[in-house]
Amino acid sequence: MIRILSALIRASLMVSFQYRSDLFFEAATGILRCFSAIAPLWLAFQHTTAIAGWTPPQAMLVMSLFLLFHALQGGLFEPNLGEVVQLIRQGNLDLWLIKPADAQLLVSLRRIDPSYLWDFGVSILMAGVCIAQIGPISALDAALAALLAVNGVLAMYGLWMLAICTSFYFVRVDNLRYLLTTAADAGRWPASVFSTGIRWALTAGVPILLVTSTPAEALRGQWTWTTVAGSLGIGLAFVGLARVAWMRSLASYTSASS
Amino acid sequence: MIEVEQLTKVYRVPIREPGIVGSVTSLWRREYKEVRAVDAIDFSVAAGERVGFLGPNGAGKTTTLKMLTGLLHPSAGSCRVAGWKPQDRQRDFLRTITLVMGQKQQLIWDLPAIETFALNKALFDIPSKQYAETLSELTKLLSLQEFLHQPVRNLSLGQRMRCELAAALLHRPKVLFLDEPTIGMDVEVQAIVRQFIIEYNQRYEATIMLTSHDMADVARMVRRVILIDRGVVRYDGSLEGLSREFGSGRTLVVRGNGPVLDRLGFSLMEDDKRRLTISPDRVNEVLGDILRELPQVELTVVDPPLDDVLRRAFGEKRE
Amino acid sequence: MSSLWRHLKATPAMFRVSLADTVAYRAELAIWVLTATLPLVMLALWETIAAGAPIAGMTKIEVSRYFAAALIVRQLTGAWIVWEMNFEIRNGSLSAKLLKPLHPIWVWAVWTVSAMPFRMIVLTPLLALLAWARPELLTLPAAPDLALFAVSVTLALALAFLVQTAFGSLAFFMDRSIGMFSLWFGLWSFLSGYIAPTAFFPSWAQNILYYLPFRATLSIPVEILSGRLHGGLAWQEIGIQCVWVCVFGIIARTLWNTGVARYEAFGS
Repeated sequence: MIRILSALIRASLMVSFQYRSDLFFEAATGILRCFSAIAPLWLAFQHTTAIAGWTPPQAMLVMSLFLLFHALQGGLFEPNLGEVVQLIRQGNLDLWLIKPADAQLLVSLRRIDPSYLWDFGVSILMAGVCIAQIGPISALDAALAALLAVNGVLAMYGLWMLAICTSFYFVRVDNLRYLLTTAADAGRWPASVFSTGIRWALTAGVPILLVTSTPAEALRGQWTWTTVAGSLGIGLAFVGLARVAWMRSLASYTSASS
Repeated sequence: MIEVEQLTKVYRVPIREPGIVGSVTSLWRREYKEVRAVDAIDFSVAAGERVGFLGPNGAGKTTTLKMLTGLLHPSAGSCRVAGWKPQDRQRDFLRTITLVMGQKQQLIWDLPAIETFALNKALFDIPSKQYAETLSELTKLLSLQEFLHQPVRNLSLGQRMRCELAAALLHRPKVLFLDEPTIGMDVEVQAIVRQFIIEYNQRYEATIMLTSHDMADVARMVRRVILIDRGVVRYDGSLEGLSREFGSGRTLVVRGNGPVLDRLGFSLMEDDKRRLTISPDRVNEVLGDILRELPQVELTVVDPPLDDVLRRAFGEKRE
Repeated sequence: MSSLWRHLKATPAMFRVSLADTVAYRAELAIWVLTATLPLVMLALWETIAAGAPIAGMTKIEVSRYFAAALIVRQLTGAWIVWEMNFEIRNGSLSAKLLKPLHPIWVWAVWTVSAMPFRMIVLTPLLALLAWARPELLTLPAAPDLALFAVSVTLALALAFLVQTAFGSLAFFMDRSIGMFSLWFGLWSFLSGYIAPTAFFPSWAQNILYYLPFRATLSIPVEILSGRLHGGLAWQEIGIQCVWVCVFGIIARTLWNTGVARYEAFGS
């Protein structure tokens, strides 16, 4: 398992570094992406001191968690999902499916886009600064926040995987990817901005709030065992559902003709 | 080694009215039509056999191969490969078989082939010692040495396909499914690949099932053929039997001259030979006629080329 | 037969085919409805902030109307040919298009316009929902302003199309044309008035924005539709849109022509 994982990551990193694109462009893109993410928040705080009860560092923490996820999404989810669609179209998926390793693992980790390493770095730095500004945090809060963040990422991974599975049936899923990234975009704002209905949609439908607001709330000590259990339940449900959908898709997979 | 019983695959294909009305109505209402790609076929292949799987485009060859490798689930019937049900995709099953598709590739495009091999080593959990052995053997047999370390995208088609073969065989599978393995290769590379496949079959007593449109492939590599057309097995037996069953006739080639030949309708070829193609049941009668008048003549009976046999086999059904 | 006539004659058939093509995948319909909702997210955010006190002189209801209009304008000015161009240039399928007697850009333009009926279908459920939940957000401006809006939104669509043609043509020269476009798109979403009305920016930033092309693709028609821009001032803004359409028309044309020459010389 570990061996397969490291072999996959090794291969995908090697592919990425084959094209030694100019570091400058990557860096500029990454920094600009982060800047354009912070800018609206900056704009909002020009007109108010707190957004629905969130102070600037707290709201910024949500934003940096969002950026962290965004980096994962762009660097890991997106290149792999895009590849699967292509693999299905060209029929090369067949050759991956007959490998004696878990096919879901293979298609999830085939590629890494290293240009998102910048975003990854910058967002971690930002999160660190925000946490420092928020003040002292209890160990339990911190541990829970970390757990919830991982859980949120897994939930979103589950959703992406579900999207991959639809590409077995509808060949054009570019739009679905676009939908996911767009919907996930709402996660950059603190959850309490939204009405209850939207909040539910962004927790249980496109569970982006589990990645951003939920851990940020936990870090502020605003959590109950119910919310924690609920979040973990949703995360588990997404991962489980993705697994089932993947198995079912394989069962009804028709392969590209010839 | 391979057991196939009543194996069937039915696809549902949406049909749509042409034009704008059709495309709008298909938004909420779609009609499907069923295509029986493989229709209740039966056959079995013993361990160590080399079997050619022939048929025109769309006959169901590839669909069958995909069911045998577990990529597609059968709509009805069953198949077993080396004792496993392919669609369960058991780990040990997948380590027993391999699939090579002439038009698809598993090699990582941007890296040297050796990196894909290394990845496969991890995926198939090949012990290092065995990996080193197999690799050096494959490198020798397929003459990979000079381009093993070049990015795949820089390889020629022939070089790439040889690497594909090596990548597919690193785990020493016992059952090989080859779908158009020599497509697009030049004659020289084809010869290497064919020779290699036969050698692999003999060395590891591997079972080989291949599809090809290239009759030279078939004639050279397999002893037994299964003919499939529109999802139905039309013939299953030896290569010679195939020409007997579907051969349009025998060609008599005669060196010499005499009025009897003209009477029978022999035509003169450039090298002073005369030839005539007749149906198999007339061969004895015609031979008798010739030998009665020209007892000393040099005479040979030739089987028709495999291509003709197949054209006839598939054409017959169409008419 | 003149080239223009030939292009026009082929258009109805192309329109039909590409409309059928867009509609063929029914699952996408729902997807597009959902992706169209980003302005509603921004509406939620800014409403929360505007609930306390007006922002930059805009009351809560004005803010909400602005984003409702943005929702509509965004659908009417959608163009996505940059991906299509990039794809066709890289995998060489553009060659087939170049052999046809129709200009490829024209084909893409028809393709873009033929998506409009589809986008209307997408918009309908969203507007119905909005009309049911928040009817006060959907007020139509007076007839003359509506005409202005029609002009302005058409120019915005043309500009969006030309910008994408320019970025799409970059694929002739570099691998990163899509990356370049997403950079542009990142800037665009912030600076065009998509995420916040330009009025929310500090005045120094507004002065800069005035001279940038971003507003011309979104903010101007949105402000006309939401009733914040009328008459002479609106005409002036439409003039600015015209200027940008010309500028990007020239840029796109130059990039395309040099790109195609290069493509034909080296192959793909």
